[in-house]
Amino acid sequence: MKIPGVKTLAALFMLLFFISIGGVAVSAATDQHIMDNAGLLTESEIAELEAFAAEHSREEGADFLFLTTADTNGQAIEPYMADFFDQWAAENNQENAVLLTIDMGSREVYLAGFGTAEARLDDSRVDMVLDRIVPYLRTGDYGGAFRETVATSSRYMEYKPGVNPESIFLKTWFHLAVSLLLGGLVVGSMLFNAGGRVTTTPSTYVDHDRTRVRSEMDRFRNKTVSRRRVPQNKGGGGGFGGGGTSAGGRSYSGGGRSF
Amino acid sequence: MVIQYKCPNCGSDMAFDSDSGKLSCPNCGRQDDIETFPEENIQRKFDPEEAKEYHCENCGAVILTEANTAATHCSFCGSPVVLADRLTGDLAPAKVIPFTISKDEAIAAFRKWTKNGRLTPSGFMNGDRIKKMTGMYVPFWLYDIGGQAEVAAVATRVHQYQRGDTIYTETDFYDVHREIDLSYLKVPADASEKMDDELMDKLEPYDYGELKDFRMPYLAGFLAEKYDYDDEALFSRVESKIVPYIDAYINTTISGYSTVSFTNKRIQANKSNVYYTLFPVWMVYYDFENKEHTFAMNGQTGKVVGRPPISRAKVFAWFTGIAASAFAVMKAVSYAVGGVLW
Ligand SMILES: [Zn+2]
Ligand SMILES: [Zn+2]
Repeated sequence: MKIPGVKTLAALFMLLFFISIGGVAVSAATDQHIMDNAGLLTESEIAELEAFAAEHSREEGADFLFLTTADTNGQAIEPYMADFFDQWAAENNQENAVLLTIDMGSREVYLAGFGTAEARLDDSRVDMVLDRIVPYLRTGDYGGAFRETVATSSRYMEYKPGVNPESIFLKTWFHLAVSLLLGGLVVGSMLFNAGGRVTTTPSTYVDHDRTRVRSEMDRFRNKTVSRRRVPQNKGGGGGFGGGGTSAGGRSYSGGGRSF
Repeated sequence: MVIQYKCPNCGSDMAFDSDSGKLSCPNCGRQDDIETFPEENIQRKFDPEEAKEYHCENCGAVILTEANTAATHCSFCGSPVVLADRLTGDLAPAKVIPFTISKDEAIAAFRKWTKNGRLTPSGFMNGDRIKKMTGMYVPFWLYDIGGQAEVAAVATRVHQYQRGDTIYTETDFYDVHREIDLSYLKVPADASEKMDDELMDKLEPYDYGELKDFRMPYLAGFLAEKYDYDDEALFSRVESKIVPYIDAYINTTISGYSTVSFTNKRIQANKSNVYYTLFPVWMVYYDFENKEHTFAMNGQTGKVVGRPPISRAKVFAWFTGIAASAFAVMKAVSYAVGGVLW
């Protein structure tokens, strides 16, 4: 067996070093995450949210972007934001992003995931984030809406694609409750049975030859039928979207609401 | 032991007629086959020569044994017992399940049982503090019970189907009626006042394959308690014992429904035969931390019942151990499925 030389090891180390540096460099490609064209935020809000977005962008390897506009030049919000992203992606050489767009003209919001974020923040996760931020938008707290988007999206993106991040089976409190219940049940039954168990059953003393059904009758009497509509998937509050592809050929996940 | 056949017609003592090979009544002339003679008309009595009765003046226990076995101490409280002048309860048992577990086997089985106690203090698990072990025949009444049940119920079957964008839930209602013949054989109830009913119930079941007609020699070397309650007094206890069995049986006869609600349930149970029977029980008196614990062991199957002392530390250890490992397993699974630990 050949022992790898110092040179080979050094080269390997350098390679690893550049890969890790490269990863960070790509994810922190931009220093501007907030494009507040509608003027919804104050200077101090922007500074604070920029720092917050930058930190999470680094952690997730995808940029969290916030675009606001007073009008979309007659475009619908979805193609408007897709066009914006085509341009932004080309300028910043970054394909992985989560983009929150607010159009004050139509009072609509659209949240999209591009690149790696398309799978990590899929349509159903987008929907859950929208559920959380619409109340902020209704009260005019646009900064709070973006902060919530960044915090919740980055939390969701930690989960494997396809998994419902709000599933009760993934909640720690649920794990804790089940564990305590299981421990209580097992030890409780051990305690209960410590003095000996009743091992007779309803059939221990039954005389099978002479215990029988002498006569039986099952007669249909009447029936009742109740109707209800098949529940619609969301839709409430003017939901729309569900991802698509931009004019520049970038595929994305997404969803929008009126507020 | 003296066996008397009471004439079903007039109550006189019937005699065996060797010419006809039948029991015949000197009073009314009735004749019966000895094999098919009804159990309730047979009276068994101890011969005063073959049995002895002892009384405990401390706790009032009455103990019977055969003539050659001497009892010195009460099996319940340990006080000295005195021999009675003559038998007061002279009714003899009809059946007996003999001891199949000897004293040595009983000690070994009890030691093994204490070692299996996962919640008992470690000192208790040594199983070497047996103060006293008494083999005792405990009086039971065994009831053959026959009866009928008549039940009426409204049952539903629910199913769902979809047409277009409407979901239909259809509930079909059925009138259900059952008439059931019931028969239970040799349901036991302990006739001893001193024996804890719950403890005795847990000793069941006994293997009735070993049920023998009572003979005096079975008592040699063992003590038998005299029954405190007769079969009439105990029937209500046996009834309350079999009603859940009957309910369970009724439920098995109504199946395939989503819900069943009974509108009428009439259960009638009568005793058809009663057997005064002795069951073998080892009583184990065990000292632990200056307290005496009493256990009972089925003298036929070796099953042990009785409340052992419980170690709080072990309860806590088991609880945290199970909860912590369940928590770890669920975390591992959710990490594998969801990719997130917290
Ligand atoms: Zn007669
Ligand atoms: Zn006594």
